[in-house]
Amino acid sequence: MSDLEKLKIVIQYEFLKHFRRKRLYIVLGIALLVEALVLILIPVLMEQGYPDDALSMAALLTAGPGLAVIGAVFFAGDAVAGEFEGKTGFLLFINPVKRVVLWVGKYLAGFLATTILVVFSYIIISIALLAIYQQVPVELLKSFGLCMLYAASVLSVTFLFSAVSKGSMGATVMTLLFIFVVCGILESVLMATGKPYWFILSTGGDSITAVLTDMSKMFESLGIDPSRFGSMLENYKPMDVSLAAVGMVIYLVVGFAGSLWFSNRRQLA
Amino acid sequence: MGDSIIIENLTKYYNDFLALDDLSLRVPEGENIGLLGPNGAGKSTTLKIMCALIRASSGKVFIDGFDILEEPEKALSRIGAIIETPEFYSYLTPIDNLSYFGKLRGMSGNNLMKKIDEVIALVKLEKWSKVKIEKFSRGMKQRLALAQCLLHDPPILILDEPGLGLDPKGLVEFREIISDAGRSKTVFFASHQLNEVDLICDKVAIINNGKLLIYESIDVLKQKYQSLEIAYLKLTGGSVE
Repeated sequence: MSDLEKLKIVIQYEFLKHFRRKRLYIVLGIALLVEALVLILIPVLMEQGYPDDALSMAALLTAGPGLAVIGAVFFAGDAVAGEFEGKTGFLLFINPVKRVVLWVGKYLAGFLATTILVVFSYIIISIALLAIYQQVPVELLKSFGLCMLYAASVLSVTFLFSAVSKGSMGATVMTLLFIFVVCGILESVLMATGKPYWFILSTGGDSITAVLTDMSKMFESLGIDPSRFGSMLENYKPMDVSLAAVGMVIYLVVGFAGSLWFSNRRQLA
Repeated sequence: MGDSIIIENLTKYYNDFLALDDLSLRVPEGENIGLLGPNGAGKSTTLKIMCALIRASSGKVFIDGFDILEEPEKALSRIGAIIETPEFYSYLTPIDNLSYFGKLRGMSGNNLMKKIDEVIALVKLEKWSKVKIEKFSRGMKQRLALAQCLLHDPPILILDEPGLGLDPKGLVEFREIISDAGRSKTVFFASHQLNEVDLICDKVAIINNGKLLIYESIDVLKQKYQSLEIAYLKLTGGSVE
């Protein structure tokens, strides 16, 4: 039996685990709720109703970055740590399968589950745009591609934390702190001071909406004068999406390679 | 007939703590061997090294001639094991779990389903075969662990306290299953239940502080010390009233 055949089996059953858990449905519900709230609240709160252009509306509806993080944390936080913490490794690791096949299979199953979330979210966006503007801009496809790349890179980082954490909760908390606190603060500081910030992981998340429209255009389309933000946007330079994508690829490769290295060295004592 | 299990000069340190001290042992094919020793003697450590769950600091283990460190997949394909109290994937049913592990061992189709039905019936979990494992008691999980251990009909069984959590009736059923399997398989069985070991095994290896104290047939030990229990207590430094 080849490693590839074993990999398919691992993906199949790891995905089955995600499918049988309630988490997948909870996140799908959250995605639906977020999109519904945006669609309901904008006409209620903004005098002019929905933005003039479809791209700005698409940017407002895009929940991809948040969903990618939630998906990664839900589906990968316990991927490695859980086998050790929950003692399921005593049954899994005694099978004649290379550990690397198990980790790659778990990663791909997590990616598959996250993909379902992201695709679901973009289907809702597309339907909403068709209903409001009778068009789906091609930029939405770029946004989707970047969202998948972001999901893959966040998943890698979560895997890395899962590989070094004693428990699943530690991996989950570390991932959330890293992305929302560490990356968020660094990105804001670098952005506000006009320094390069493409290498910060959360920038990858921002590129998902940046490819649709930039900040000032979005404010204008909502009837908000960007000058209201004063000096806050003085040093702001629109992000280079290509560089942000390079940054995400780096996190994807380094995070995944690191997680494999640490996972393979762990012992189930 | 050759040796199914060869343990050569096995040493294991957990940081500065010496858990196994130059342990050597050979288990001939088809024999049922009990591994005895007080808590912390090194029994579980030995079994975990044999199942590639942890790495030895030095020494070698061969399973059916395959070095567990050099050729882990070939070595693991020869064994069925229960280590500690294993946990199954709680969101899946026994059939899902066994199907997963069976497929990873190259089983498929009708043959796999037939074997799953067979082992589930053997451990008397038929009524629970489609219930998620999150509803299972410890004893039921232990029964299922025995089922997964026998699923692929391995020539070697490595069992670490497999009777843990079973009720008296379950313990008797379990003993019958292992004894029956032991007629055609090599069984390496760590336990504190001396009567279970006495009923299942031909020989025992008694270890303490990571060192092998004796490796002898149960009959010889009984002749020498009157009973297995007295032999165990005398050799491990326990008091004999």
